Amino acid sequence: MTVEPLIQVNRVSHSFGTLRAVSDVTLSVNSGEIHCLLGPSGSGKSTLLRIIAGLQQQDAGEICIGGETVSDARVHHTAESRAVGFVFQDFALFPHLTVLRNVLFGMSARRSSDSRDQAMKLLTSVGLADRSDSMPHMLSGGEQQRVALARALAPSPHVMLLDEPFSGLDTQLRKEVRNTTLAVLRESGVATLMVTHDQNEARICSDQISVLDHGKLIASGPADKVLTEPNESANSLS
Amino acid sequence: MRSVTQDSDGVWTHLSETVLSGYVWNTFRLAMGVGFLTTIIGVGTAWLVTMHSFPGSRGLRWALILPMAIPVYLSAYALTDLLQFSGPVQTWLRNTMQWTHEDYWFPEMRSLPGATVILSLGLYPYVYLAARTGFATQSASVLEAARTLGVGPWGRFFRIALPLARPTIMAGVALVLMETLAEFGAVDYCAVDTFSTGIYRTWVTRGSLVAASQLSVCLLAAVMMLILLETSSRRAARFHHATQRTQRPVATRLPWLWGIAAACSCSIPVLAGFVVPVGQFSWLTLRSGDQRTHELFFELAANSLLLAATASVLTLSCGMILAFARRMTDSPWMAGAIRVAGFGYAVPGGVIAIGILSPLWWLEDQLLTISESQLDWTPGLFLSGSAVAVICGYLVRFMAVPLNVIAAGYERIRPSIDDAARTLGTSGSGLLGRVHLPLLRSSLAAAGLLVFVDVLKELPATLILRPFDFDTLAVRVYQLAADERLSEASTGALAIIAAGILPVVLLTRILDQTSQPANR
Repeated sequence: MTVEPLIQVNRVSHSFGTLRAVSDVTLSVNSGEIHCLLGPSGSGKSTLLRIIAGLQQQDAGEICIGGETVSDARVHHTAESRAVGFVFQDFALFPHLTVLRNVLFGMSARRSSDSRDQAMKLLTSVGLADRSDSMPHMLSGGEQQRVALARALAPSPHVMLLDEPFSGLDTQLRKEVRNTTLAVLRESGVATLMVTHDQNEARICSDQISVLDHGKLIASGPADKVLTEPNESANSLS
Repeated sequence: MRSVTQDSDGVWTHLSETVLSGYVWNTFRLAMGVGFLTTIIGVGTAWLVTMHSFPGSRGLRWALILPMAIPVYLSAYALTDLLQFSGPVQTWLRNTMQWTHEDYWFPEMRSLPGATVILSLGLYPYVYLAARTGFATQSASVLEAARTLGVGPWGRFFRIALPLARPTIMAGVALVLMETLAEFGAVDYCAVDTFSTGIYRTWVTRGSLVAASQLSVCLLAAVMMLILLETSSRRAARFHHATQRTQRPVATRLPWLWGIAAACSCSIPVLAGFVVPVGQFSWLTLRSGDQRTHELFFELAANSLLLAATASVLTLSCGMILAFARRMTDSPWMAGAIRVAGFGYAVPGGVIAIGILSPLWWLEDQLLTISESQLDWTPGLFLSGSAVAVICGYLVRFMAVPLNVIAAGYERIRPSIDDAARTLGTSGSGLLGRVHLPLLRSSLAAAGLLVFVDVLKELPATLILRPFDFDTLAVRVYQLAADERLSEASTGALAIIAAGILPVVLLTRILDQTSQPANR
């Protein structure tokens, strides 16, 4: 029996004026898989992630989430109706809400005690249960990142998108936060697509890697294979 | 403040038994009504033009500031004249529909609700500008995060954008409330008794400086509370965005039907707050205008310009000295003194005028005594009876303008510039003249222009403090409008509005540089 991928990107292209940001990209991410989108700055990784989330509408191609077409030439579901979790590069925590209320924000019954319990469980899993009443500006960068992860997971999405989630952290903190994040993602079993420009990070985090360069997909496959075989992808990343 | 313990010869007792409760109740209702309406208009229009793209949105972004160019009392004259029973609108309705006065109902502009609407149309730009800054400086990714969490446009507005912009908006509303408490000409014309009109009447008709001062103290207490609100709101605004790496939000294109609705909604305040008053005054000027233009208009304009120029130069000089002193020392006393010097902008002109008279009279008495005893010469009322009093009033009222503008200019000059000048042997006046003044040239020009136009428009302090037989354009317009001679007042009104447009253009340029959202 073939398992249908949770994220399916079919021949997606997008331009900003004359700049071709994403060019005819096809990739898929299965349930429970962590898939890294690797490439240098300006290669179109973040644009592709925003297109999958519905924050940007592609010029051509198709996006399917959970087997349903959410965007093509005829239909376009908005970001708010796609039910994907998104962790932003700057974490984008709501500065006027406490940590707990940030996590509760996207939950449908956010005033119920069940939702509160669920939010507290998530905060415990990222090691921040004792900071639930803190305001975001009182947290360190690593703590903010973990709140952003808990918030994105709170509505129980089947798909998680992470845009360079560890780029703002120093080396030691990055390792700690990455380990926590991977453990939480593995446990939740969601399909994860993570953008990074760091080869080492991609190797540690991912099951699958797709390499983008100048908007084009130049390699895709298991992490070890893509990063060890001498090919065009290695050249573009070096 | 000294008046609180003084005896007002029974005037205060009389006021408290008769009209004081009315002043309190009317002022409160007016402030609440104007605060509510300006928040709705200012926040709604700011949200539409900042976060959305629709037909005319770029033009409306600056046009929505235009009502600021018109002093509120002039809007009151124009709109009341247009909409009153004998005005063109109701006359046209009666003629077209063959109605008599008993056949229809029309809102009465000379009333508290009328004054509330007029003040709201003139003052909403304060909230609009504050809200626009609040929305434009929010992080785009915070709003996008809300989208990925399933929150639609209304939810994003009420749950994210509005709470985040609330401190900035509250600062704008606090300014509106201060202006409402200070407003004299419009409420006087709309026949609404407030503290502001009460102070003027107690001094001019009852001649009781003590009772007028006691009323002023009550108004001052309300203003102090608003200053506290404004200050705490600004602190909260800094706190919220302290750790955000902000990427400006992107303006999204509205579907055409929503776009037309948005364009209409944003056009109404511009039409009612600017186009209609200017159109009304232009039409009145073309039809008849001030018949004494040639003999009087230029004399009044010269008086206005003389006062405005003198006040600009003096406030700018004092402001520069204070700002330079603040730059040179970290003393908390200096910081406190400068805060007090800028306090006048929040105090109604009438209150400042009444507050200035007592010390000015005392000083004048002392100097006259010395002059008579030592020089055997009586110079007359050389302070209170000359333009010195009114200039002093302007200095107190508008000192905050150069202080704030120069302080903003100083923030762009790094302290290392001063250190570099010192290592090259330049300090003190040399540093001021050779380094700071050239670098602050544009800030000084902007501050001078703002004070100049503020003085041209100022009414209550000028009415109380001007020398006998010395009128300005604003005073002349007020007197003609009070005599129901609006056609004659229209020429002066247009001149004041034309001058008021200058700082609005300046403000628009500054805003366009700092808070322009991206377009999608």
